[in-house]
Amino acid sequence: MLIHLPKRLCVAVAMVLAGLAAAQGANDASLVKDFAGRIQKYLDLRKTADISKKPTDSPDKLVYQKQQAEEKIQQSRPAAKQGDIFTPPIGAYFKKQIAATLRGAQGEKVRASLRRAEPLPDIRLQVNHPYPAHLPLQSTPPTLLLNLPRLPGELQYRIVGSTFVLFDTAANLIVDLLPDAVSGP
Amino acid sequence: MLCRDHKHGFMPRKSLSLLAACALWISGAWSQSAPRTVNPAAPLARNPIAAQEPGVHRAAASNGLDIKIPLQPNSVRFAVIGDSGTGDREQYEVAREMEAYREAVKFDFVIMLGDNIYGSHSPQDFVKKFEEPYKPLLDAGVKFYASLGNHDDPNGESLYKPFNMGGKRYYAFRKGEVAFFALDSNYMDPRQLDWLEQNLKSSQGTWKVCFFHHPLFNDGRHHGPDIDLRSQLLPLFQRNGVNAVFSGHEHVYERIRPENNIYYFVLGSSGKLMTHDFHESGERVKGFDRDRTFMIVEIAGEKLYFQVISRTGETIDSGELTRANVMQAH
Repeated sequence: MLIHLPKRLCVAVAMVLAGLAAAQGANDASLVKDFAGRIQKYLDLRKTADISKKPTDSPDKLVYQKQQAEEKIQQSRPAAKQGDIFTPPIGAYFKKQIAATLRGAQGEKVRASLRRAEPLPDIRLQVNHPYPAHLPLQSTPPTLLLNLPRLPGELQYRIVGSTFVLFDTAANLIVDLLPDAVSGP
Repeated sequence: MLCRDHKHGFMPRKSLSLLAACALWISGAWSQSAPRTVNPAAPLARNPIAAQEPGVHRAAASNGLDIKIPLQPNSVRFAVIGDSGTGDREQYEVAREMEAYREAVKFDFVIMLGDNIYGSHSPQDFVKKFEEPYKPLLDAGVKFYASLGNHDDPNGESLYKPFNMGGKRYYAFRKGEVAFFALDSNYMDPRQLDWLEQNLKSSQGTWKVCFFHHPLFNDGRHHGPDIDLRSQLLPLFQRNGVNAVFSGHEHVYERIRPENNIYYFVLGSSGKLMTHDFHESGERVKGFDRDRTFMIVEIAGEKLYFQVISRTGETIDSGELTRANVMQAH
Protein backbone atom coordinates (compact mmCIF):
# COMPACT_ATOMS: atom_id res chain seq x y z
CA MET A 1 0.00 0.00 0.00
CA LEU A 2 2.75 2.37 1.10
CA ILE A 3 4.82 1.42 -1.92
CA HIS A 4 1.99 2.20 -4.32
CA LEU A 5 1.04 5.53 -2.76
CA PRO A 6 3.70 7.71 -4.46
CA LYS A 7 2.80 6.22 -7.82
CA ARG A 8 -0.88 6.95 -7.23
CA LEU A 9 0.04 10.40 -6.06
CA CYS A 10 2.01 11.01 -9.22
CA VAL A 11 -0.91 9.88 -11.35
CA ALA A 12 -3.26 12.12 -9.41
CA VAL A 13 -0.97 15.13 -9.76
CA ALA A 14 -0.57 14.44 -13.48
CA MET A 15 -4.35 14.23 -13.87
CA VAL A 16 -4.83 17.51 -12.02
CA LEU A 17 -2.18 19.23 -14.15
CA ALA A 18 -3.68 17.83 -17.35
CA GLY A 19 -7.06 19.04 -16.19
CA LEU A 20 -5.68 22.49 -15.45
CA ALA A 21 -3.98 22.63 -18.83
CA ALA A 22 -7.18 21.58 -20.54
CA ALA A 23 -9.13 24.18 -18.57
CA GLN A 24 -6.52 26.80 -19.47
CA GLY A 25 -6.69 25.74 -23.11
CA ALA A 26 -10.46 26.00 -23.08
CA ASN A 27 -10.23 29.39 -21.39
CA ASP A 28 -7.71 30.60 -23.99
CA ALA A 29 -9.92 29.33 -26.79
CA SER A 30 -12.85 31.18 -25.33
CA LEU A 31 -10.80 34.40 -25.06
CA VAL A 32 -9.62 34.08 -28.67
CA LYS A 33 -13.23 33.55 -29.73
CA ASP A 34 -14.29 36.65 -27.80
CA PHE A 35 -11.42 38.61 -29.41
CA ALA A 36 -12.41 37.40 -32.91
CA GLY A 37 -15.98 38.50 -32.28
CA ARG A 38 -14.87 41.99 -31.27
CA ILE A 39 -12.65 42.22 -34.34
CA GLN A 40 -15.58 41.20 -36.52
CA LYS A 41 -17.74 43.92 -34.95
CA TYR A 42 -15.04 46.46 -35.73
CA LEU A 43 -14.87 45.24 -39.33
CA ASP A 44 -18.65 45.46 -39.69
CA LEU A 45 -18.56 49.03 -38.45
CA ARG A 46 -15.68 49.74 -40.75
CA LYS A 47 -17.66 48.42 -43.69
CA THR A 48 -20.51 50.83 -42.99
CA ALA A 49 -18.00 53.69 -42.88
CA ASP A 50 -17.18 52.89 -46.53
CA ILE A 51 -13.51 53.81 -46.67
CA SER A 52 -12.69 52.28 -50.02
CA LYS A 53 -9.54 53.80 -51.47
CA LYS A 54 -8.26 53.53 -54.98
CA PRO A 55 -4.77 53.59 -56.45
CA THR A 56 -3.96 57.01 -57.83
CA ASP A 57 -1.19 58.98 -59.52
CA SER A 58 -2.01 62.04 -57.49
CA PRO A 59 -0.29 62.56 -54.12
CA ASP A 60 -3.00 65.11 -53.29
CA LYS A 61 -5.73 62.54 -53.81
CA LEU A 62 -3.72 59.99 -51.83
CA VAL A 63 -3.52 62.25 -48.81
CA TYR A 64 -7.18 63.26 -49.17
CA GLN A 65 -8.29 59.61 -49.25
CA LYS A 66 -6.26 58.92 -46.13
CA GLN A 67 -7.79 61.83 -44.23
CA GLN A 68 -11.28 60.80 -45.32
CA ALA A 69 -10.74 57.24 -44.09
CA GLU A 70 -9.44 58.47 -40.73
CA GLU A 71 -12.37 60.80 -40.22
CA LYS A 72 -15.04 58.31 -41.27
CA ILE A 73 -13.81 55.62 -38.88
CA GLN A 74 -13.33 58.11 -36.05
CA GLN A 75 -16.86 59.39 -36.51
CA SER A 76 -18.31 55.90 -36.68
CA ARG A 77 -17.03 54.98 -33.22
CA PRO A 78 -17.02 58.23 -31.26
CA ALA A 79 -17.19 56.47 -27.89
CA ALA A 80 -14.26 54.16 -28.60
CA LYS A 81 -12.03 53.68 -25.60
CA GLN A 82 -9.04 51.66 -24.51
CA GLY A 83 -10.09 48.13 -23.62
CA ASP A 84 -12.97 47.85 -26.05
CA ILE A 85 -11.16 45.02 -27.80
CA PHE A 86 -8.30 44.27 -25.41
CA THR A 87 -10.66 43.69 -22.48
CA PRO A 88 -8.85 42.82 -19.23
CA PRO A 89 -9.12 39.04 -19.80
CA ILE A 90 -8.19 39.33 -23.50
CA GLY A 91 -5.39 41.72 -22.59
CA ALA A 92 -4.07 39.24 -20.03
CA TYR A 93 -4.14 36.51 -22.67
CA PHE A 94 -2.12 38.66 -25.11
CA LYS A 95 0.40 39.60 -22.42
CA LYS A 96 0.83 35.92 -21.59
CA GLN A 97 1.39 35.02 -25.26
CA ILE A 98 3.89 37.85 -25.75
CA ALA A 99 5.82 36.93 -22.60
CA ALA A 100 5.86 33.27 -23.59
CA THR A 101 7.27 34.17 -27.02
CA LEU A 102 9.99 36.37 -25.54
CA ARG A 103 10.95 33.61 -23.08
CA GLY A 104 10.53 30.72 -25.52
CA ALA A 105 12.94 28.83 -27.75
CA GLN A 106 13.03 31.67 -30.28
CA GLY A 107 12.97 34.35 -27.59
CA GLU A 108 16.53 35.57 -28.09
CA LYS A 109 15.96 36.01 -31.83
CA VAL A 110 12.72 37.86 -31.21
CA ARG A 111 14.35 40.17 -28.65
CA ALA A 112 17.27 40.80 -31.03
CA SER A 113 14.78 41.61 -33.79
CA LEU A 114 13.05 44.10 -31.49
CA ARG A 115 16.36 45.71 -30.51
CA ARG A 116 17.49 46.11 -34.11
CA ALA A 117 14.26 47.35 -35.64
CA GLU A 118 14.66 50.94 -34.55
CA PRO A 119 12.81 50.54 -31.25
CA LEU A 120 10.40 53.36 -30.58
CA PRO A 121 10.19 55.27 -27.32
CA ASP A 122 7.10 55.05 -25.14
CA ILE A 123 4.93 57.81 -26.46
CA ARG A 124 1.37 58.73 -25.67
CA LEU A 125 -1.01 56.94 -28.01
CA GLN A 126 -4.77 57.31 -28.02
CA VAL A 127 -7.47 54.95 -29.18
CA ASN A 128 -9.31 56.09 -32.30
CA HIS A 129 -6.54 58.62 -33.05
CA PRO A 130 -4.10 58.46 -35.97
CA TYR A 131 -0.73 56.80 -35.64
CA PRO A 132 1.64 59.73 -35.07
CA ALA A 133 2.96 61.28 -38.28
CA HIS A 134 6.74 61.14 -38.78
CA LEU A 135 7.03 58.15 -36.42
CA PRO A 136 8.50 55.10 -38.19
CA LEU A 137 6.83 51.74 -37.81
CA GLN A 138 8.81 49.27 -35.79
CA SER A 139 8.67 45.87 -37.45
CA THR A 140 6.72 43.25 -35.52
CA PRO A 141 8.77 40.06 -35.12
CA PRO A 142 7.33 37.29 -37.31
CA THR A 143 7.73 34.65 -34.61
CA LEU A 144 5.57 36.74 -32.30
CA LEU A 145 2.93 37.04 -35.00
CA LEU A 146 2.86 33.26 -35.35
CA ASN A 147 1.91 33.00 -31.66
CA LEU A 148 -0.97 35.45 -31.76
CA PRO A 149 -4.49 35.14 -33.19
CA ARG A 150 -4.51 35.88 -36.92
CA LEU A 151 -5.91 39.21 -37.97
CA PRO A 152 -7.76 40.19 -41.14
CA GLY A 153 -5.68 42.08 -43.68
CA GLU A 154 -7.05 45.47 -42.63
CA LEU A 155 -5.53 45.24 -39.14
CA GLN A 156 -2.04 44.73 -37.74
CA TYR A 157 -0.37 44.19 -34.38
CA ARG A 158 2.24 46.87 -33.72
CA ILE A 159 4.70 47.60 -30.95
CA VAL A 160 5.44 51.12 -29.73
CA GLY A 161 7.84 51.09 -26.80
CA SER A 162 6.25 48.68 -24.35
CA THR A 163 2.75 49.19 -25.71
CA PHE A 164 1.06 46.60 -27.87
CA VAL A 165 -1.13 48.24 -30.49
CA LEU A 166 -3.99 47.09 -32.69
CA PHE A 167 -3.60 49.22 -35.80
CA ASP A 168 -5.94 49.86 -38.73
CA THR A 169 -3.52 50.30 -41.63
CA ALA A 170 -5.93 51.71 -44.18
CA ALA A 171 -7.41 54.24 -41.79
CA ASN A 172 -4.06 54.85 -40.01
CA LEU A 173 -5.88 54.63 -36.68
CA ILE A 174 -5.11 53.09 -33.31
CA VAL A 175 -8.01 50.67 -32.83
CA ASP A 176 -6.99 49.65 -29.31
CA LEU A 177 -3.85 49.42 -27.22
CA LEU A 178 -2.41 47.39 -24.40
CA PRO A 179 0.16 49.24 -22.28
CA ASP A 180 3.08 47.48 -20.57
CA ALA A 181 2.68 44.39 -22.73
CA VAL A 182 6.19 44.14 -24.17
CA SER A 183 9.08 43.98 -21.74
CA GLY A 184 12.34 45.71 -22.68
CA PRO A 185 14.57 43.70 -24.95
CA MET B 1 36.04 27.65 -60.08
CA LEU B 2 36.27 27.41 -56.35
CA CYS B 3 35.37 24.59 -54.02
CA ARG B 4 32.32 24.95 -51.85
CA ASP B 5 31.87 24.24 -48.17
CA HIS B 6 28.62 23.76 -46.27
CA LYS B 7 28.19 27.16 -44.78
CA HIS B 8 29.76 29.82 -46.89
CA GLY B 9 30.05 28.49 -50.37
CA PHE B 10 33.84 28.41 -50.82
CA MET B 11 36.80 26.73 -49.13
CA PRO B 12 39.38 27.07 -47.81
CA ARG B 13 38.70 30.74 -47.92
CA LYS B 14 42.00 32.43 -47.12
CA SER B 15 44.25 30.32 -49.28
CA LEU B 16 41.87 30.31 -52.21
CA SER B 17 41.39 34.03 -51.96
CA LEU B 18 45.16 34.45 -52.17
CA LEU B 19 45.31 32.09 -55.11
CA ALA B 20 42.45 33.85 -56.84
CA ALA B 21 44.09 37.22 -56.28
CA CYS B 22 47.32 35.96 -57.84
CA ALA B 23 45.41 34.53 -60.80
CA LEU B 24 43.56 37.77 -61.32
CA TRP B 25 46.78 39.75 -61.13
CA ILE B 26 48.47 37.48 -63.66
CA SER B 27 45.47 37.66 -66.02
CA GLY B 28 45.29 41.41 -65.69
CA ALA B 29 41.70 41.33 -64.46
CA TRP B 30 42.63 42.83 -61.12
CA SER B 31 42.25 46.31 -62.45
CA GLN B 32 38.52 45.74 -62.88
CA SER B 33 37.97 43.96 -59.64
CA ALA B 34 39.53 46.55 -57.39
CA PRO B 35 38.73 50.04 -58.54
CA ARG B 36 40.44 53.02 -56.99
CA THR B 37 37.55 53.97 -54.77
CA VAL B 38 37.33 50.63 -53.06
CA ASN B 39 40.91 49.56 -52.56
CA PRO B 40 43.42 52.39 -52.66
CA ALA B 41 46.26 49.88 -52.45
CA ALA B 42 45.29 48.00 -55.60
CA PRO B 43 47.41 48.32 -58.78
CA LEU B 44 45.95 50.92 -61.11
CA ALA B 45 48.22 50.68 -64.13
CA ARG B 46 45.47 49.50 -66.48
CA ASN B 47 42.55 51.42 -67.79
CA PRO B 48 39.55 49.51 -66.46
CA ILE B 49 37.38 50.64 -69.34
CA ALA B 50 39.75 49.50 -72.07
CA ALA B 51 40.55 46.17 -70.48
CA GLN B 52 38.88 43.19 -72.19
CA GLU B 53 40.58 40.24 -70.57
CA PRO B 54 39.12 36.79 -71.11
CA GLY B 55 36.94 35.67 -68.26
CA VAL B 56 36.03 39.20 -67.32
CA HIS B 57 32.66 40.28 -68.61
CA ARG B 58 32.68 43.02 -71.16
CA ALA B 59 33.59 46.52 -70.12
CA ALA B 60 32.07 48.97 -72.55
CA ALA B 61 32.68 52.65 -72.75
CA SER B 62 29.49 54.58 -73.40
CA ASN B 63 29.32 58.32 -72.90
CA GLY B 64 32.40 57.98 -70.74
CA LEU B 65 30.61 55.58 -68.42
CA ASP B 66 32.30 52.52 -67.06
CA ILE B 67 29.76 49.88 -67.96
CA LYS B 68 30.51 46.42 -66.65
CA ILE B 69 27.41 44.50 -67.60
CA PRO B 70 27.37 42.77 -70.98
CA LEU B 71 24.12 44.22 -72.42
CA GLN B 72 23.05 40.98 -74.03
CA PRO B 73 20.03 40.96 -76.31
CA ASN B 74 16.71 40.11 -74.61
CA SER B 75 18.20 40.27 -71.14
CA VAL B 76 16.29 41.62 -68.13
CA ARG B 77 17.87 44.88 -66.96
CA PHE B 78 16.92 46.85 -63.91
CA ALA B 79 18.27 49.25 -61.32
CA VAL B 80 18.14 48.93 -57.54
CA ILE B 81 17.80 51.73 -54.99
CA GLY B 82 17.30 51.58 -51.25
CA ASP B 83 16.59 54.11 -48.49
CA SER B 84 16.37 56.74 -51.14
CA GLY B 85 13.56 59.11 -50.20
CA THR B 86 15.29 61.92 -48.35
CA GLY B 87 14.72 64.72 -50.84
CA ASP B 88 18.30 65.83 -50.17
CA ARG B 89 20.86 66.90 -52.72
CA GLU B 90 22.61 63.52 -52.61
CA GLN B 91 19.45 61.67 -53.64
CA TYR B 92 19.18 63.94 -56.68
CA GLU B 93 22.83 63.34 -57.54
CA VAL B 94 22.37 59.58 -57.41
CA ALA B 95 19.25 59.95 -59.57
CA ARG B 96 21.22 61.94 -62.16
CA GLU B 97 23.84 59.22 -62.31
CA MET B 98 21.07 56.64 -62.72
CA GLU B 99 19.68 58.53 -65.68
CA ALA B 100 23.11 58.66 -67.30
CA TYR B 101 23.40 54.89 -66.94
CA ARG B 102 19.81 54.33 -68.11
CA GLU B 103 20.60 56.06 -71.38
CA ALA B 104 23.52 53.71 -71.94
CA VAL B 105 22.23 50.51 -70.37
CA LYS B 106 18.52 50.87 -71.18
CA PHE B 107 17.21 49.39 -67.96
CA ASP B 108 13.46 49.78 -67.95
CA PHE B 109 12.51 49.33 -64.32
CA VAL B 110 13.79 50.03 -60.82
CA ILE B 111 13.18 48.02 -57.66
CA MET B 112 12.99 50.06 -54.45
CA LEU B 113 14.13 48.47 -51.19
CA GLY B 114 12.08 50.61 -48.84
CA ASP B 115 12.21 53.94 -47.05
CA ASN B 116 11.03 55.42 -50.30
CA ILE B 117 9.68 58.54 -48.61
CA TYR B 118 11.27 59.62 -45.32
CA GLY B 119 9.52 61.84 -42.80
CA SER B 120 6.18 63.39 -43.58
CA HIS B 121 4.05 62.12 -46.45
CA SER B 122 2.42 65.29 -47.66
CA PRO B 123 1.75 65.68 -51.40
CA GLN B 124 4.86 67.87 -51.60
CA ASP B 125 6.94 65.05 -50.10
CA PHE B 126 5.93 62.66 -52.86
CA VAL B 127 7.07 65.28 -55.35
CA LYS B 128 10.29 66.32 -53.65
CA LYS B 129 11.41 62.86 -52.55
CA PHE B 130 10.35 60.84 -55.58
CA GLU B 131 8.80 62.56 -58.59
CA GLU B 132 11.39 65.32 -59.01
CA PRO B 133 14.61 63.41 -58.50
CA TYR B 134 13.52 60.56 -60.77
CA LYS B 135 11.68 62.71 -63.31
CA PRO B 136 14.03 61.91 -66.21
CA LEU B 137 13.61 58.21 -65.52
CA LEU B 138 9.83 58.47 -65.17
CA ASP B 139 9.63 60.55 -68.35
CA ALA B 140 11.60 57.86 -70.14
CA GLY B 141 8.98 55.28 -69.15
CA VAL B 142 11.01 53.56 -66.44
CA LYS B 143 8.73 51.77 -63.97
CA PHE B 144 9.39 51.73 -60.24
CA TYR B 145 8.40 48.76 -58.07
CA ALA B 146 8.46 49.64 -54.39
CA SER B 147 8.71 47.61 -51.23
CA LEU B 148 7.90 49.14 -47.86
CA GLY B 149 10.44 50.27 -45.26
CA ASN B 150 9.87 51.29 -41.67
CA HIS B 151 9.74 54.98 -42.66
CA ASP B 152 7.11 54.42 -45.34
CA ASP B 153 3.38 54.89 -45.07
CA PRO B 154 2.12 51.39 -45.87
CA ASN B 155 -1.32 52.34 -47.01
CA GLY B 156 -0.54 55.60 -48.78
CA GLU B 157 2.44 54.31 -50.73
CA SER B 158 0.85 51.03 -51.74
CA LEU B 159 -1.90 53.03 -53.45
CA TYR B 160 0.51 55.41 -55.16
CA LYS B 161 0.42 54.28 -58.80
CA PRO B 162 4.03 55.19 -59.69
CA PHE B 163 5.15 52.64 -57.06
CA ASN B 164 3.27 49.87 -58.93
CA MET B 165 2.18 48.06 -55.76
CA GLY B 166 -1.44 47.72 -56.83
CA GLY B 167 -2.67 48.67 -53.36
CA LYS B 168 -0.87 45.72 -51.77
CA ARG B 169 1.81 45.50 -49.08
CA TYR B 170 3.43 42.59 -50.91
CA TYR B 171 3.10 41.45 -54.49
CA ALA B 172 4.81 39.62 -57.34
CA PHE B 173 5.58 40.48 -60.93
CA ARG B 174 7.39 38.90 -63.81
CA LYS B 175 9.95 40.30 -66.27
CA GLY B 176 11.05 37.84 -68.91
CA GLU B 177 12.31 34.74 -67.17
CA VAL B 178 12.69 36.51 -63.85
CA ALA B 179 10.02 36.39 -61.13
CA PHE B 180 10.16 39.21 -58.58
CA PHE B 181 8.60 39.12 -55.13
CA ALA B 182 8.28 42.42 -53.25
CA LEU B 183 7.78 41.71 -49.55
CA ASP B 184 6.74 43.76 -46.55
CA SER B 185 9.38 42.94 -43.94
CA ASN B 186 7.81 45.38 -41.47
CA TYR B 187 5.02 42.94 -40.93
CA MET B 188 5.83 39.39 -41.96
CA ASP B 189 2.63 37.81 -40.71
CA PRO B 190 1.51 34.21 -41.35
CA ARG B 191 -0.76 35.43 -44.15
CA GLN B 192 2.21 36.89 -46.04
CA LEU B 193 4.37 33.82 -45.36
CA ASP B 194 1.62 31.58 -46.77
CA TRP B 195 1.25 33.82 -49.81
CA LEU B 196 5.00 33.78 -50.41
CA GLU B 197 5.28 30.02 -50.07
CA GLN B 198 2.43 29.44 -52.53
CA ASN B 199 3.63 31.98 -55.06
CA LEU B 200 7.26 30.88 -54.98
CA LYS B 201 6.20 27.28 -55.34
CA SER B 202 3.95 27.94 -58.32
CA SER B 203 6.30 30.41 -60.00
CA GLN B 204 7.61 29.41 -63.41
CA GLY B 205 10.38 32.02 -63.31
CA THR B 206 13.84 30.71 -64.09
CA TRP B 207 15.19 33.22 -61.59
CA LYS B 208 13.36 34.00 -58.36
CA VAL B 209 14.33 37.34 -56.87
CA CYS B 210 12.97 38.63 -53.55
CA PHE B 211 13.33 42.19 -52.33
CA PHE B 212 12.33 43.83 -49.07
CA HIS B 213 13.61 46.33 -46.54
CA HIS B 214 15.15 44.53 -43.54
CA PRO B 215 18.28 42.50 -44.39
CA LEU B 216 18.66 38.90 -43.29
CA PHE B 217 22.43 39.26 -43.26
CA ASN B 218 24.61 42.33 -42.88
CA ASP B 219 27.66 43.63 -41.11
CA GLY B 220 26.28 47.02 -40.25
CA ARG B 221 26.74 48.40 -36.80
CA HIS B 222 23.67 50.58 -36.93
CA HIS B 223 21.00 47.90 -37.35
CA GLY B 224 22.51 44.51 -38.09
CA PRO B 225 20.54 41.61 -39.52
CA ASP B 226 17.00 40.80 -38.53
CA ILE B 227 17.58 37.27 -37.30
CA ASP B 228 13.97 36.56 -36.38
CA LEU B 229 12.93 37.49 -39.91
CA ARG B 230 15.80 35.33 -41.15
CA SER B 231 14.58 32.35 -39.13
CA GLN B 232 11.23 32.52 -40.95
CA LEU B 233 12.33 33.46 -44.47
CA LEU B 234 15.55 31.53 -45.00
CA PRO B 235 14.01 28.03 -44.88
CA LEU B 236 11.20 29.23 -47.12
CA PHE B 237 13.67 30.69 -49.64
CA GLN B 238 15.69 27.49 -49.63
CA ARG B 239 12.65 25.24 -50.04
CA ASN B 240 11.41 27.23 -53.01
CA GLY B 241 14.54 27.97 -55.01
CA VAL B 242 15.03 31.69 -54.42
CA ASN B 243 18.20 32.82 -56.21
CA ALA B 244 18.85 36.40 -55.13
CA VAL B 245 17.72 38.70 -52.33
CA PHE B 246 17.99 42.49 -52.19
CA SER B 247 17.46 44.47 -48.96
CA GLY B 248 18.05 47.98 -47.65
CA HIS B 249 17.66 49.47 -44.14
CA GLU B 250 21.39 49.58 -43.33
CA HIS B 251 22.70 52.73 -45.02
CA VAL B 252 25.62 51.11 -46.81
CA TYR B 253 26.29 48.83 -49.76
CA GLU B 254 27.17 45.27 -48.92
CA ARG B 255 27.52 42.04 -50.87
CA ILE B 256 27.13 39.04 -48.60
CA ARG B 257 28.79 35.67 -49.00
CA PRO B 258 26.22 33.39 -50.66
CA GLU B 259 24.27 31.24 -48.26
CA ASN B 260 22.84 27.94 -49.53
CA ASN B 261 23.10 29.09 -53.15
CA ILE B 262 21.25 32.34 -52.48
CA TYR B 263 22.96 35.65 -53.24
CA TYR B 264 22.35 38.51 -50.81
CA PHE B 265 22.84 42.22 -51.42
CA VAL B 266 22.23 45.09 -49.03
CA LEU B 267 21.81 48.48 -50.62
CA GLY B 268 20.47 51.13 -48.29
CA SER B 269 22.50 54.10 -49.40
CA SER B 270 20.70 55.67 -52.34
CA GLY B 271 19.70 58.65 -50.21
CA LYS B 272 20.83 58.03 -46.66
CA LEU B 273 24.39 57.14 -45.71
CA MET B 274 25.99 55.76 -42.56
CA THR B 275 29.77 56.03 -42.71
CA HIS B 276 32.14 53.77 -40.73
CA ASP B 277 29.30 51.36 -40.25
CA PHE B 278 30.91 47.94 -40.63
CA HIS B 279 32.08 45.38 -38.17
CA GLU B 280 33.72 42.14 -39.21
CA SER B 281 31.58 39.03 -39.29
CA GLY B 282 33.14 37.14 -42.18
CA GLU B 283 29.84 37.29 -44.07
CA ARG B 284 30.74 40.31 -46.17
CA VAL B 285 32.45 39.91 -49.54
CA LYS B 286 32.38 43.58 -50.41
CA GLY B 287 31.22 46.64 -48.56
CA PHE B 288 31.15 50.37 -49.15
CA ASP B 289 30.03 53.01 -46.69
CA ARG B 290 31.67 56.20 -47.97
CA ASP B 291 29.10 57.48 -50.43
CA ARG B 292 25.63 56.95 -51.80
CA THR B 293 25.11 54.16 -54.32
CA PHE B 294 22.72 52.46 -56.69
CA MET B 295 23.00 49.22 -58.59
CA ILE B 296 22.30 48.04 -62.11
CA VAL B 297 21.54 44.41 -62.75
CA GLU B 298 21.29 42.36 -65.91
CA ILE B 299 19.93 38.82 -65.96
CA ALA B 300 20.53 36.72 -69.05
CA GLY B 301 20.11 32.95 -69.08
CA GLU B 302 21.96 31.48 -66.14
CA LYS B 303 23.88 34.66 -65.34
CA LEU B 304 23.17 37.65 -63.17
CA TYR B 305 25.54 40.57 -63.80
CA PHE B 306 25.68 43.44 -61.37
CA GLN B 307 27.41 46.77 -61.06
CA VAL B 308 27.25 49.10 -58.07
CA ILE B 309 27.85 52.75 -58.85
CA SER B 310 28.47 55.62 -56.48
CA ARG B 311 26.92 59.08 -56.52
CA THR B 312 30.05 60.33 -58.29
CA GLY B 313 29.95 57.63 -60.93
CA GLU B 314 32.63 55.33 -59.63
CA THR B 315 32.14 51.59 -59.86
CA ILE B 316 32.21 50.20 -56.36
CA ASP B 317 31.58 46.56 -57.09
CA SER B 318 30.74 44.41 -60.09
CA GLY B 319 30.62 40.81 -61.07
CA GLU B 320 28.65 37.95 -62.47
CA LEU B 321 26.76 35.29 -60.58
CA THR B 322 25.61 32.00 -61.92
CA ARG B 323 22.22 30.63 -61.01
CA ALA B 324 22.49 27.74 -58.57
CA ASN B 325 25.90 27.32 -57.14
CA VAL B 326 28.79 28.87 -59.02
CA MET B 327 29.99 32.38 -58.37
CA GLN B 328 32.58 34.37 -60.22
CA ALA B 329 32.28 37.84 -58.78
CA HIS B 330 35.15 40.27 -58.91
